Amino acid sequence: MGKELTLTSVGIDIGTTTTQLVLSRLTLVNVMPGSQVPRIEISHKSVIYMGTVHFTPFLDRRHVDGPTLRKLIAREYELAGIGPADIDTGAIIITGEAAKKENAAEIIHSLADYAGDFVVATAGPDLESLIAGKGSGAEELSKRFRSRIANIDIGGGTSNIALFDKGVCIGTACVNVGGRLFEVDALTQRLSYVTAPAQNVADCLAKKWGQDLFPAATPEAELAGINACLDRMVESVDRMLFRDLLAAVDQSLVMSDRLPAEPPQAVVFSGGVARYIYQPGLQSWWIHGDVGPLLAEAFRRGRAFQNLKVYQGAETLHATVLGAGAHTVNVSGSTVTVDKNVLPLRNLPAVYPNPKTDGEWSWVEPAGHFQDGLYRTVALIVPVLGDTDFSTITDVARQLAAEFGQIAGSPKVVIAQQDIAKVLGQSLQRIAPEYELVCLDGVELKLGDFIDIAKPLPYEEAVPVIVKTLVFSGGVGPGSAKGSE
Amino acid sequence: MGLEMDIRSIVEQVLLEMKHGTQGNSGANLPAQTVVSASEEDALTDLAKVDLQRYLQVPHPVNAELYQEMKLATPARIGVWRSGSRPLTDTWLRFRADHAVAQDSVLGDVPEDFPAKYNMVCVKTMCSSKDEYLTRPDLGRKLDDENLAILRQHCKKGPKLQIIVADGLSSKAVEANIPNLLPAMIQGLEGMGIQLGTTIFVKYARVAIMDVIGEELKPEAAIVLIGERPGLGTAESMSAYMGYNPRVGMVESERTVVSNIHKGGTPAAEAGAHLASLLKRILDARASGVNM
Repeated sequence: MGKELTLTSVGIDIGTTTTQLVLSRLTLVNVMPGSQVPRIEISHKSVIYMGTVHFTPFLDRRHVDGPTLRKLIAREYELAGIGPADIDTGAIIITGEAAKKENAAEIIHSLADYAGDFVVATAGPDLESLIAGKGSGAEELSKRFRSRIANIDIGGGTSNIALFDKGVCIGTACVNVGGRLFEVDALTQRLSYVTAPAQNVADCLAKKWGQDLFPAATPEAELAGINACLDRMVESVDRMLFRDLLAAVDQSLVMSDRLPAEPPQAVVFSGGVARYIYQPGLQSWWIHGDVGPLLAEAFRRGRAFQNLKVYQGAETLHATVLGAGAHTVNVSGSTVTVDKNVLPLRNLPAVYPNPKTDGEWSWVEPAGHFQDGLYRTVALIVPVLGDTDFSTITDVARQLAAEFGQIAGSPKVVIAQQDIAKVLGQSLQRIAPEYELVCLDGVELKLGDFIDIAKPLPYEEAVPVIVKTLVFSGGVGPGSAKGSE
Repeated sequence: MGLEMDIRSIVEQVLLEMKHGTQGNSGANLPAQTVVSASEEDALTDLAKVDLQRYLQVPHPVNAELYQEMKLATPARIGVWRSGSRPLTDTWLRFRADHAVAQDSVLGDVPEDFPAKYNMVCVKTMCSSKDEYLTRPDLGRKLDDENLAILRQHCKKGPKLQIIVADGLSSKAVEANIPNLLPAMIQGLEGMGIQLGTTIFVKYARVAIMDVIGEELKPEAAIVLIGERPGLGTAESMSAYMGYNPRVGMVESERTVVSNIHKGGTPAAEAGAHLASLLKRILDARASGVNM
């Protein structure tokens, strides 16, 4: 089919500080010549509506205001001139304070009507790091320059680091360093609130200085204290990036660290604070009621900015929401076997088989970790086979079918790592016709990953998929909290 | 072909020069290996065994990693280095070797016992030899009375689907793909409840042999699995041509085609499964090719 298909994708980023919605249009096209087996790829991504950045509504410092948030998102849909029914796919990224368990539940509940059948609620600092790195364009730059580039997305409460090597994400980290860890009164320009992680850093410095930083006697002393804390925070980020030994203060700020041993060759900054890294010299630093512009200056003094090559990505401010809307969706292989009525499926954990002594595989034991009723079903991975001969494939089908009965959940989802999903699926349908089946390939799933499978595309067999790469650390998406164990 | 001829003439020139002992500047750049193996013939390695995509011929590349990545990204012969304005000896020897493989594949025959292994009824077009097959495409589309009689005698008449295997321009493609493609396709078709005719193997056949067989056995649809003209990348590529209501006089645009079935393209077993569902669509739509 030469026809082009378009998907409307929504990205909603609900962070500690801000909430934003973006709508993008993904164009899918068959990239193979007409005489060959089709391969559908996303050929073009364009933003059709970029929502306003809103402050995330909180009832108090701990609890998200669900109804207000709902109104806010409803208004954005209205402004975009689009209804929830027009949305094909997308992701909600809930992070930081908003991602605390009761908040996430409240958000998902409040937005249920707007998230639609296709949209996926998800969270976790590792995934956010990755998504920001894709949205900012750091991934693309790393691919283009064939180099190792770190994206540092600096938000209100956290800095999310993603390291890309030649376009592949090889590690992520999340640090409690953000522009809103100190809040200031925009009129008096004095500190109005110091968050716990910021206070922690201040306390450490106080020990060294022999006196408390806050409250400070004069505005000048207060500013000096803030700057000292911010410099110390940036130092923590730099130590993570350059893989130095972490001091106690650094460790108190680190939320997750999955960076590899090798430091980056270049760096891209994104997020609200990054804007002031690329456009320094703002005199009225207090205008946002926080210390974001000061943190940007601190980053400019830091080692990463001074010693590494600094690129500006295609998108700075809206990297995360753009990433959530446009960069989370992939397309499966085009020769797959799918019982269409069972889609969409969400939050399926990837289950790799254990090798048995006779050279065959068994999925029962590893799948057992996810059999507590939290998951509708699991994604059984078929590892790379020595060859793709018909007999080899039917043999794997037999091994799978023999274990279907011992693995809870329906439909049975099988993900092959080679281009064999159609023949494997047909073999399974033949051996075990009683099970509903989704058999895909062309999807890379690593241990600890989760996958969402959206409704199939019209006219094509390929299905859009969202792979939630990396282990969720302390994640809160439905069913994801258990996934990190 | 233009490039091939160019290279051929270059090669011939180089050979001539070498024979006459007039070593130009090319001699100095010959890989050490070639020089050594010239003196002790036993040490000759099989050039065709070298994985071209992992063979980095550029000496001291500035960025070997990137060079390797580029080579791995395409089976095309890129980054092969040079000697003066000519390719290196092993580059053109390998080129000749691959060309020879392609020629062998065109000129070779599918083994005698092959069709029987898959319970195929074996017939031959009106071509009497490979040479005639290559020079007389028209004869490759016809069956004589004797062969038509074989079909009448041994094949189911009026099946839903007629499977035809043809050697076409690559016997190697048939040998390499049919063992995996055919069972996968048949499994898929049987799974969908499509009634199959007797599988036929046709020697010296062109795609349009489908028409003659269609006329004789009257299947609702037919598929011809045929070896593609070999290239220098692979000699094992196979195509599948499908037609609804195959008959003499049908036009080429009525055929649906799936090409590039080989290890490096669509693997045979997966292609078989794909063809099964494509045939189902053809039968459901009661049309093929552009009519679909």
